[in-house]
Amino acid sequence: MTDKPLPQPDRDSAPYWEGIAAGELRLQRCADCGAWRWPARAICNRCRSFAAEWVTASGLGTVVSWIRTHQPFIRSFADDAPYVTVEVQLAEQNDIRLIGRLADPGLEPEIGQRVRAEFTRDPALIVWRPIG
Amino acid sequence: MTFDLVDRAAIAGIGYTEFSKNSGVSTLTLALRAIKAALDDAGLDPDLVDGVGTHRVGDSVPTPVVAQALGITDPRWFTDHFGGGGSSHSVVGQAALAVASGAADYVVCYRAINSRSEFRMGGTGRAPVEAIETQYQAPYGYVAPPQQYAMVAQAYMHRYGVTERHLGAVAMTERKYAALNDRAMMRAPFTYEDYLASRWVAEPFRLLDCCLETDAAIAVLVCRAEAARDLKKPPVLIRAAAWGGGQMLFSNRQPEPGTSLAARMAPRLFRSAGLTPADVDLAMLYDCFTVAVPLQLEDYGFCAKGEGGEFVLSGATAPGGKLPVNTHGGFLSEGYVHGWNHIAEAVGQLRGEAGARQVPGARIALSTGAPGYVGGVTSALLLRRDT
Repeated sequence: MTDKPLPQPDRDSAPYWEGIAAGELRLQRCADCGAWRWPARAICNRCRSFAAEWVTASGLGTVVSWIRTHQPFIRSFADDAPYVTVEVQLAEQNDIRLIGRLADPGLEPEIGQRVRAEFTRDPALIVWRPIG
Repeated sequence: MTFDLVDRAAIAGIGYTEFSKNSGVSTLTLALRAIKAALDDAGLDPDLVDGVGTHRVGDSVPTPVVAQALGITDPRWFTDHFGGGGSSHSVVGQAALAVASGAADYVVCYRAINSRSEFRMGGTGRAPVEAIETQYQAPYGYVAPPQQYAMVAQAYMHRYGVTERHLGAVAMTERKYAALNDRAMMRAPFTYEDYLASRWVAEPFRLLDCCLETDAAIAVLVCRAEAARDLKKPPVLIRAAAWGGGQMLFSNRQPEPGTSLAARMAPRLFRSAGLTPADVDLAMLYDCFTVAVPLQLEDYGFCAKGEGGEFVLSGATAPGGKLPVNTHGGFLSEGYVHGWNHIAEAVGQLRGEAGARQVPGARIALSTGAPGYVGGVTSALLLRRDT
């Protein structure tokens, strides 16, 4: 279905979504202390520096939780239900966790499973592929 | 600096509307009915009200509209906070600060929602409430509180060995209380097999893990303790209030989703009250979903981390247990008024008005707001019988 919610970039997050459209997981990183920032924002929550750079992350992470949605809270997802959503903790930093879906609807989620980012087109989103 | 609010403010009146799936009236009408009921409960002349407080997520009537409708021509104090269940107890806590400081004398606080017939949480029937995380989640079909709490539940259950047996025990225990409560929307007892057979909403949650979306309003009247003693009902003293926050579910400098914001806030709540969890006679724990009950039993210090499920399964929170929890049936069985029916039930219990579900000799009650996974804030109250 085509009326699923699309990403709505804001003035902070636009480079993140541009990265995904280009097939890269780009995240903000503090130019002073090196801490990763998620979601994109002006200040570092460790050292309070405003300086940041956009860096392509490894795209590696671990599934820390998952759910299987049966009730279509968004009507445009009704045909997908039941569908799995995962929460992935990035390898870069243990407090950065992204919500997403697995690369293939037939994949069974598992806590602790290592995953790698892949990128879809139309819409440009991240999906997660289990790796050995 | 010490935080000296202890027993200076009181809840002097409570007011309910009917709980229903379709009130047929506006949130303004609901608010006015609940406020008038709270003022009648206290026996207070409405002309003396000089403060109004609420919280909303774009789903209810603002305080100036309510104040004007009540004929409060010169409100001395107000708060109209953007937020959901995490803010519920904060509104009453702020009203306590207002009357203790003299900023206001008589504050009516309310929450009025048509959360079944008009504004369902999580986007069913309307666009999701704007939140910074929406852009990162909605494209993946993830928008609703049942999904967000299910994600917490799965990680928590995996880490601590909590199972559907424990979640089912929460739902069944609350229904036992609801059977003793004429106001409760769902009163028929059910078995564990019934629980297992209820349909999936978002695994690991079944329908019976989820609260009842409800049309209702609740109001409470807050004033100074000595002023409350001159009113009609026995005052319930606000022993302590606490606020917490600083994290969001999806990125928060906290790598462990199985522990809530309440774990950091609870010690200062008890410390400022001069009380410990062992002093609490009954607890109203924000139960938007079953999992929130064992989580908060742990995070407020009633049992060790990971033992909340067994605590419930042992019967400790059930009628006659050592810590009765959600004695009205909770959001799961009485109805969901976004934290406010917890406050009102605690007041009713401490006044000895809870009828068949009365906790004998109840003196101290804990009542909690949402533990902070959605919205990034939490709040709670410790309440005490006056005598």
